[in-house]
Amino acid sequence: MNTNVQIDSVLKRARGYWFVDGFTEMAAGGMFIVLAAILLLQGKVLQASDPSRFLSFVGVVSLAKLFGFIVVILALWWLKDHFTYPRTGFVRGNRVTAAQVLILIRNVILFLLLPIFGLLAVSLLVASAGSVLASLPVWFPIGVGLIWAVLCVLAGEWMGLSRFRLLGVAFLLSGIAAGFWQWAVGLPTLPADVQPGIFQPAVVEVINRALTSLGVLILISGVILALSGLVTFLRYRKQNPTPYTEES
Amino acid sequence: MSPSLQNLSGLDRVIHEPARLMLVALLSSVESADFLYLLKESELTKGNLSVHLSRLEEAGYVQAEKTFRGKIPHTEYRLTPQGKAAFDAYRKSLGSIFDAKKK
Repeated sequence: MNTNVQIDSVLKRARGYWFVDGFTEMAAGGMFIVLAAILLLQGKVLQASDPSRFLSFVGVVSLAKLFGFIVVILALWWLKDHFTYPRTGFVRGNRVTAAQVLILIRNVILFLLLPIFGLLAVSLLVASAGSVLASLPVWFPIGVGLIWAVLCVLAGEWMGLSRFRLLGVAFLLSGIAAGFWQWAVGLPTLPADVQPGIFQPAVVEVINRALTSLGVLILISGVILALSGLVTFLRYRKQNPTPYTEES
Repeated sequence: MSPSLQNLSGLDRVIHEPARLMLVALLSSVESADFLYLLKESELTKGNLSVHLSRLEEAGYVQAEKTFRGKIPHTEYRLTPQGKAAFDAYRKSLGSIFDAKKK
């Protein structure tokens, strides 16, 4: 036994136990890939000639998220019950109180969303609304990638999981790659007098391209998550090949 | 004797033992955990783990709950409010000792 007790690392290890087997990342990665496939295979989601198409798309995505979430939770329960708990034991996580949730929401708003919206407001002051809207396919995936990266790095820090820091960096790079790809393809040009309302051909084009770049970001992130989960699972299985028995 | 050293002599000896400190730290960050998890994480032998858990139970810091998972007996351990308070107090007094030494 290691008698040098590092209390903080012990606490972090216990917090990160849910991710010890890689199942959660594989499941989340799979869900990301399905969502990206829906988004990318749908083609042009928003069409000026058929506004109801966008509503049906939102419905499909919402249903996919709901069913995906239920399937993932049930699969994770079953897998952990039959694979993880017999090998390395069962842990019941701490109940999250309403006060803790409120603190988390406050921190996300204060330290993540406010700076991002602040930057957006400043960019609207510096540049014209038209150019900010036209560059939506570039900055939108970068912004989403940045938010995921910060959340992932913070979670990794809290649970002492160094691979989460790498995942955060990978999400940010994926966002930058998706944005750079849209920039390289060429930004749509908006007329100088963009009128309110989203069903104008130029605005529709911008939103479709932004959704496509978001789809690419979700796809790359899903593949990265699934691979990270697979590597973690293989390592876990190597360290714990058989369920624990009295004789082991 | 300086106040910081007096703090040292007042440390909770039930928790101060390294194996028990690790067990209490593990249980402090979860709602409950079973014997196998504590065994794997602490790297203690089964006999040692049982002895230390019994000592923590005697002190009223840990509560054991015996249930069944299917047909297999299953024992979950959780920190009692008294155990949580003792662990918090231990961390604070240890911290104050080192803070006083720095000054």
